[in-house]
Amino acid sequence: MLLKRLFAVFPVVFGVLQLTFLFVHLVPGDPVEVMLGESATSADRTQLRADLGLDQPLPTQFANYLGKLAKGDFGRSIHNHNEISSVLAERIPATAKLALLALAMALLIGLPLGIVAALYHLRWPDRAATLTSLTISAMPHFWLGPLLMLVFALWLGWLPVSGMESGSSIFLPALTLACGLAAILTRMTRASLLETLNEDFVRTARAKGLPERLVVLRHALKPALLPVVTVIGLQLGSLLAGAVITETVFGWEGVGRLLVESIEKRDYPVTQACVLVIALTYVLVNLATDLAYGQLDPRVRRAE
Amino acid sequence: MFVLVLLGACAKPITHTEIRFAIAQAPLTLDPRYATDAASERVNRLLYRPLVDFDAHSRAVPALARWQQTDALHYRFTLGKNGRRFHDDEQLTANDVAATYRSLLALKDSPHSAEFANIASVETQDTNTVEFTLRQSDKQFPARLIIGILPAKLIAQNHDFAKQPIGSGAFKLVEWKRTLKLARVADQQQIIMEEVRDPTVRVLKLLRGEVDLLQGDLPPELVAYLKQQKYIHVLESFGSNYSYLGFNLQDPQLKNPLIRQAVALSINRDVIIKHALVGGSRPATAILPPEHWAGNSDLQPIHYDPQRAKVLLQQAGVTLPLKLIYKTSTDAQRVRLATIMQAQMRPSGIDLEIRSLDWGTFFEDIKQGHFQLYGLTWVGIKTPEIYRLAFHSASVPPKGANRGHVQDAELDALIDRADWPAVTARIHAQLPVVPLWYEGQFAAMRSTLSGYKPAADGNWDSLESVINKGDK
Repeated sequence: MLLKRLFAVFPVVFGVLQLTFLFVHLVPGDPVEVMLGESATSADRTQLRADLGLDQPLPTQFANYLGKLAKGDFGRSIHNHNEISSVLAERIPATAKLALLALAMALLIGLPLGIVAALYHLRWPDRAATLTSLTISAMPHFWLGPLLMLVFALWLGWLPVSGMESGSSIFLPALTLACGLAAILTRMTRASLLETLNEDFVRTARAKGLPERLVVLRHALKPALLPVVTVIGLQLGSLLAGAVITETVFGWEGVGRLLVESIEKRDYPVTQACVLVIALTYVLVNLATDLAYGQLDPRVRRAE
Repeated sequence: MFVLVLLGACAKPITHTEIRFAIAQAPLTLDPRYATDAASERVNRLLYRPLVDFDAHSRAVPALARWQQTDALHYRFTLGKNGRRFHDDEQLTANDVAATYRSLLALKDSPHSAEFANIASVETQDTNTVEFTLRQSDKQFPARLIIGILPAKLIAQNHDFAKQPIGSGAFKLVEWKRTLKLARVADQQQIIMEEVRDPTVRVLKLLRGEVDLLQGDLPPELVAYLKQQKYIHVLESFGSNYSYLGFNLQDPQLKNPLIRQAVALSINRDVIIKHALVGGSRPATAILPPEHWAGNSDLQPIHYDPQRAKVLLQQAGVTLPLKLIYKTSTDAQRVRLATIMQAQMRPSGIDLEIRSLDWGTFFEDIKQGHFQLYGLTWVGIKTPEIYRLAFHSASVPPKGANRGHVQDAELDALIDRADWPAVTARIHAQLPVVPLWYEGQFAAMRSTLSGYKPAADGNWDSLESVINKGDK
């Protein structure tokens, strides 16, 4: 089963590669023009286009690209000639660190809030948690980020505004990312737990005289978290894929920022490599989520 | 939150002896033969020395060398005594000058190679003298020799100047990782340049003391806010970077000068300058400002007159409202200016539709002629050759930057004669572009800094004299 799913990854990634290659080359803007400027002669343009292999037909360029990729060669940046694999080796851990910390923060905030909201259904803790999660989820990252900077960096002076130079630099971008995810988790946990608390097996547990704490934690919470796991998987995929806006606002040198910069410069090989990494991340995280789902819910295992 | 509180308790006051400079865009390359973006050119001015530089009126003046035109096709450059020591302690000689320019001629992927295509040969006479032979006479030739000089020995070794620059400039590279760290050769004062793309974040970093200095690239309201801050010092000055509104003269309506004139009369520059631009901004009449040696102070600014604009449009026989599409980048300030112009044009009977596009798409559209109106700024222009590049009929893209497809035989003849007062007057009368303003320059710094002042073209040369008076 696992092998079958792993094999299913290849056509998805191949499809992504094709589409990315096509779209990147269809977008207006020419790296040769960006590099040579407006004073260059036609001969120089032609020469550079040939040197970069951009004079070849698109299918030939794609075949060459796939050939190199098969050998693990992402190529070099058109602009600074850096090896893309080395750049990615620096950027992927930075994004992963940020995503995992954001996820941990979101879980720490979102799950307890969701549980409290469900247990105090329609009472003030529920209303407060719902209002807070709705307010936070309505804030775009490009606005929430500077707001957190203002509070934690400028007014309180606790954390650096941006950058990556100190160890504490990661907290504000991670918190920015975590807020949105925590809001989703709060609402998902609340809704799912409310539904589970009305199930027959929970009623049975209560009828057996178990304390409410045990009913919730031992019987209701685990099945209630199943849809939450799916959401976590999907959200982790997008976090690992590079939080484009947050990384740009906070000067965090991750995959998201690299992608934006490469698109601006029409640096085709870098854009393609970033999209490939993002696609692979999504596919693998979703696969891991599916597998975790099976472990959490015996019915899913049996169905498989 | 608990972790954050703990971190806060451990927070230390910000202290540093280096000068931290927040820049909107990091340089792309430290090799002057490849630099075209503003950040790379500004940093390269600090790392390398050119043969020639410019005075306050943009006249070419000796930097590393004095020159003499020996005949129509020959220029002799004699190196002076100053700035002749590379950062690796080697002496800068005529051989390095020749090697730098020969390498520029040989490179096929340098954006500057085409500018030097007129050089037939570069020969050294002795260790201090180098002779350039041209294919055609060029009175502006010395003003072109502003590329930083590289060591010949390293050029021969294909040294990676883009990441490991060795020049003879006032600064040398210490390290370029996440930030660009330079050391001033004279006193080892370190300057750390950090790319901070978001303008609000740049301001917050300055206020918190994470950076000491920033220059340009802020909306006016943030500059006004910084002026009110106790420990921040804001300096403003006139700028020379020229913003304009370009027409596509291939467009059936816009090739009519009456319509172009109507558009020009529909923009209230004074109001925009007062409310939407930083201090030091002033109305423009030509690409080169009046103080430039080839500037034309006789040109009169175009004043806002929506009634006259409407009359001109009616004379041109267009049905009002005249619908026009204006293309600009996604930069927030550019979009804001476009929105103001859109509102200003409405009383004249012009219905302006704004299309903001990502930079690559926008610029490609402009070069391909896929536009009616667009807004751009010429940055760091020093020589009147810009008029040939931007308006000569032989400079239509991809051969130049005549993006509006101006085809004016009289203007071509004036440009060929280098009659700059007549060229600027002709452009002002024909309006292939609407001159808007020279955007002011400013620098905001912590009050612990002194000796820095913003340059008219936005360069960072003042870092040579900036002093950090103490920690915060």
